[in-house]
Amino acid sequence: MTTHRLASRSTLAPVTERRQIAPGLVVLRFLHPHIASTVEPGQFVNVLPKVGFTAPLLRRPFSVYWIEGEECEIIIQDHGLGTSILANTQVGEHLDVLGPLGSPWRYKSDDFDTAVLVVGGVGVAAMPLLTKHFLKNEVPFSTYYGARNDTLFADEYLAKVRYATDDGSKGYHGTNISLLRDELEKGSHPRIKLFACGPTKMMQAAIALADEFNVPCEVSLETEMACGVGICQGCPVETSVTENVTSGKKFYLVCTQGPSFLKEQIVI
Amino acid sequence: MQPSNGTGEVNLKVNLGNVEFKNPILVASGTFGYGSEAAKFTDISNLGGIVTKSVSWKPRPGNYPRRIVETPSGMLNSIGLANVGVHVFVDEKLPYLAEFDTKIIANIAASSQEEYCNVLEHIESHATPNLAGYEINVSCPNVKDGGLSFGTNVDMVHELTSALRPLTKRLLIVKLTPNVTSVAPFAQACEAAGADAISLINTVVGMSVDVFTHKPRLATVTGGLSGPAIRPIAVAQCYNARKNSKIPIIGIGGITSAMDAMEFFIVGASLVQLGTINFVDPDAGTKVINDLQELMKQKGVHSVDQLTNTLVIEERMKALGW
Repeated sequence: MTTHRLASRSTLAPVTERRQIAPGLVVLRFLHPHIASTVEPGQFVNVLPKVGFTAPLLRRPFSVYWIEGEECEIIIQDHGLGTSILANTQVGEHLDVLGPLGSPWRYKSDDFDTAVLVVGGVGVAAMPLLTKHFLKNEVPFSTYYGARNDTLFADEYLAKVRYATDDGSKGYHGTNISLLRDELEKGSHPRIKLFACGPTKMMQAAIALADEFNVPCEVSLETEMACGVGICQGCPVETSVTENVTSGKKFYLVCTQGPSFLKEQIVI
Repeated sequence: MQPSNGTGEVNLKVNLGNVEFKNPILVASGTFGYGSEAAKFTDISNLGGIVTKSVSWKPRPGNYPRRIVETPSGMLNSIGLANVGVHVFVDEKLPYLAEFDTKIIANIAASSQEEYCNVLEHIESHATPNLAGYEINVSCPNVKDGGLSFGTNVDMVHELTSALRPLTKRLLIVKLTPNVTSVAPFAQACEAAGADAISLINTVVGMSVDVFTHKPRLATVTGGLSGPAIRPIAVAQCYNARKNSKIPIIGIGGITSAMDAMEFFIVGASLVQLGTINFVDPDAGTKVINDLQELMKQKGVHSVDQLTNTLVIEERMKALGW
């Protein structure tokens, strides 16, 4: 019989810090040595809202926002029963956490010299570990962060940020995509690659921009998931390629084959 | 139920047909993939058996998203039988699963009797030592062709079961739908056609609507409801099948604990399958097996057989026809 080393079992992780970083956005810090020591930028964890209850029933996926020592952080946007319960978890209470899950950003690929992080809304959660890597390895990068107004930025772990707001209350007046377009139109940009995470419309616009300027672009998707580990097949994204695709060459699974995809791989 | 003999020994083994399962806890089709995904999170050799994700003759991509909606104590799914097809199944999945000390039951979905037969024969000709049998999915609510159209017609269930029976000496299990007025005639049809067991229930047809957009939450409008929300339905259907037939029952529906599993044994199930809970915790099966052993010890029960079909109904209710 084959013996199998288990990558991970769900763990009860004590919450060590809870802080509100923007309206409706709460950061929970919890002790989880396994995740803290193994997670890569772009991976996520699947967290159960209330241990031992059947409503809410399923886990909720969250990007790993930050790691420090043996601790990890996630950002929770309170927008329903499950996330509300999670966002109100207090220091000393426990989270049931499964992870790290999913595939990381392709952040070590050699198809770029300069990284451009395109960030919107709660998509910011996928960016700090990427930022940390680029800073540590002295990879040139810049961050284009868009929000409706200046109260909604969660930029504590970001760097080299260009802000854009819909109402002009901070930075560029308009979208981060328009701001980036202005920069790209100035020309003379080195070999860049876009790493985008945010609302679907922002990621669609990032892909269109990358197509226009013929630069690589990777997007990190968020979708409903049941299991987060490739079992339920509940989180498909339509694919534009026909190789290496699970179950019949039409969809990728966001949980295991993503959440990050190259723009050529998917249709969103 | 017999009193404890004081030794505290519990034997979880269960026999079904000519197959011995080391314990009565299986994992349900579609909730455990083909084993490899879950193997990263649990020791799948602990399980009594694995019912693999439905396979059809050709691969199926599954339905367009959205495929999943959480509902109170449950979830709606509309996966649409996404699967690798029988050829990849026998070339890759069965050999992988042969490495584990657990019984494998291959779940088959098809859109015609001919396809069911072809898929079963193809697997049979590539059988691995731990392939214990087949579960015939006549109850998927999420595909346009086949599936539920078989499972809601007693004559078709009888004819299909009769056609499949001569093709294998392994277990032939028919997975029934709850989306019928009474499951009793279906249980009887499977028994008459020579099936070794029935498994019930598959998901209950359900629907959820976004009241802001007036759109159904699932792309396919309706889907299959699973999870603890459907457990009382499942227990009632197993009870009904037991009352009206002698065919062994594999109970399915919202089981999350040993206590839940025991309800199914008491109303007549010989084994059970865990489903949706695997999505919450891929290690749930192992936990339920350990807890079941403890629970049986506490109750002074030595074997699952001593639990199966032990429902107690008050005499005065019996006299009233219950």
